[in-house]
Amino acid sequence: MIILKDKKLKSVLKVGMGQLLVEGGEPERNLERACHMVKDAAKIGCDVVLLPECMDLAWTHPSAKTEAKRIPGPYSDILCNLAKEHCLYLCAGLTESFEGKVFNAAILINSKGEIILKYQKINVLDVAQDIYSIGQNLSVVDTPFGIVGVNICSDNYSDSLEIGHTLARMGAKLILSPSSWTVDYSAAEDEDPYGGKWYHPYHTLAKAHDLVLISATSVGVIVGGVYEGKKMIGCSLAVDKNGTIKKGTFNEFAGELIVAEINLPSPQKLGTNIGDRLKAQGYYK
Amino acid sequence: MTLKICSRCCINSEVASVHFDSQGECNYCKMHDELDRCYPLNEKGEIYFTNLIKKIKKHGKNNQFDCIVGISGGRDSIYTLYLMKKLGLRPLAVYFNDGFSNPVAGENMTQATKLLGVEMRTVTSDWRESKDLRISFLKASTPDFGMPTDLGIAAALYGTATKLKVKYVIIGQSFRTEGVCPLEWLYFEGKYLKQVHDLFGTVPLRSWKPTDPGFNLGLKEFFYYSFIKKIKTILPLYYIDYNRKDVDQIISSELGWVNTGAHYYDDLYQSLMTYILRTKFNIDRRVFNYAALVRSGQMSRTEALDKINEVSVIEDPKVIQLCIKRLGLTQEEFDEIMSREPKTFKDYRTNYNFLVKIKYLIKITTYLHIVPKSTYMKYFDYS
Repeated sequence: MIILKDKKLKSVLKVGMGQLLVEGGEPERNLERACHMVKDAAKIGCDVVLLPECMDLAWTHPSAKTEAKRIPGPYSDILCNLAKEHCLYLCAGLTESFEGKVFNAAILINSKGEIILKYQKINVLDVAQDIYSIGQNLSVVDTPFGIVGVNICSDNYSDSLEIGHTLARMGAKLILSPSSWTVDYSAAEDEDPYGGKWYHPYHTLAKAHDLVLISATSVGVIVGGVYEGKKMIGCSLAVDKNGTIKKGTFNEFAGELIVAEINLPSPQKLGTNIGDRLKAQGYYK
Repeated sequence: MTLKICSRCCINSEVASVHFDSQGECNYCKMHDELDRCYPLNEKGEIYFTNLIKKIKKHGKNNQFDCIVGISGGRDSIYTLYLMKKLGLRPLAVYFNDGFSNPVAGENMTQATKLLGVEMRTVTSDWRESKDLRISFLKASTPDFGMPTDLGIAAALYGTATKLKVKYVIIGQSFRTEGVCPLEWLYFEGKYLKQVHDLFGTVPLRSWKPTDPGFNLGLKEFFYYSFIKKIKTILPLYYIDYNRKDVDQIISSELGWVNTGAHYYDDLYQSLMTYILRTKFNIDRRVFNYAALVRSGQMSRTEALDKINEVSVIEDPKVIQLCIKRLGLTQEEFDEIMSREPKTFKDYRTNYNFLVKIKYLIKITTYLHIVPKSTYMKYFDYS
């Protein structure tokens, strides 16, 4: 049982996967849309809302170099107020200016409007390192619905699953992953845009640790920076050990709020028990 | 010089190629009347349209789709999609995303296709190409600098029709509510695009493939789609009593459609276009839009004349800045573009003179639903 809004007991966690339209270099417009989406999520009783990676300026948009804000700062304040106003947990990706560097960051805000976790992306793509510095910390946080970890987009690549494994080893039963999955401009609705690119690593982690991994990815054409010629088409994903819980639709010009109802797995023994469990699963020889 | 205004509509003496008869009526009113005779709103017109729909259904019976409807999220295209569905066709909705989608229009498309149960395909331009083309045309300093998107839309519709073996492309446009844009204000042609891009572009355009045409739609490609693939273009709104207020009511209540605020504003770039056209070229496209509404009795002449005196709501300073920024232009670069001497398509190499020579052949194609009659009239009879 989870004690959330109005101190009512809930057995199911309702997570709003905010597949937001993110326009490059347009933080005000993006945040305004986010406000509407969070409001909509609150109306239908979401306990948690997840928004995409760099939802302020858009991923790899050149404005990140000059327009990134501090956290806490004006953009995170808007999100904190939103979380407080609607009494829900909110996780979002923001472009952070920190000690003279720019980070691809994500924050988790509680229903009182407090930032309870801040993460700076570690597995930054080579082409994006001109903008974003590499994060140096990884953490999880206790919440009324269990231990939550946050990572970002390519942190969940098949070749960087150590990040997800580490969050799981810290006890995370829910990993929230603001994302900006991209495809070539020519991808169309009649194609499977990603194949197993995201599903496989998500399911690998979920199965190995009996956890839930959720992404909310942005939609929109990339209009500036090294990834011009690509676009973001949604298809956000929620996965548990049994497979896909929920998937967003393919759309590159309009946002969508997808609601995933989640039964969070029970906590398991941590520490070296995890290694033993993974060995038993054949994960380590 | 005193501004002369048509005695019937609101077209004035500043509109390109305008002339007035002894009664003070403009040639665009004559064009409207001629089109009105070609597409009569009477029993004869109704029978013709009904038979046309039957023909589309018959041709498409072995296909997944009967026709392709180009949509943008604006009133005309959403209603056209609605109409085709109501008439029992199985359309595929196709949207050409050129990187300046108005989010309101995006919601409209998503909502409408979902509620109508229509499948949708998005053809997205390569932003590197479309950005380069937009900047090239701004540098070319002609009023039709939005033409690459129009050409991209047409090419995307032909390309998708070819890919899916569909013979009918449906466009939601009405001369009775939109009017016809003067040729000097909008010249649409593949060779013109290539010429401007050759002169001012910096990014190579990808080459033509029948199912992935990109920004290639010259005479050769047009011939391929029209005569080899036999794709026809239909403008259903020409055949019906299309009333904007009635249509707004229908699509708002049945499809949750939201007005973007102005005609053409399904594309944010129109904000910058409207601003540049007004301040640099002294062009207000609302003139021919409102003139059409006046002629078809959907707006009073007084209202049209009053509205034209106000700056268009499209000219939102924030969106204008968004457009400049999205193109990656600095304010100085934009100011330099604005200071260039205004030109027209006639200052560039095009096929126009050749097209004039073969205009009688082109006229035949209007009866075959290859070139819309209004386009023929715009290019050859009223230019």
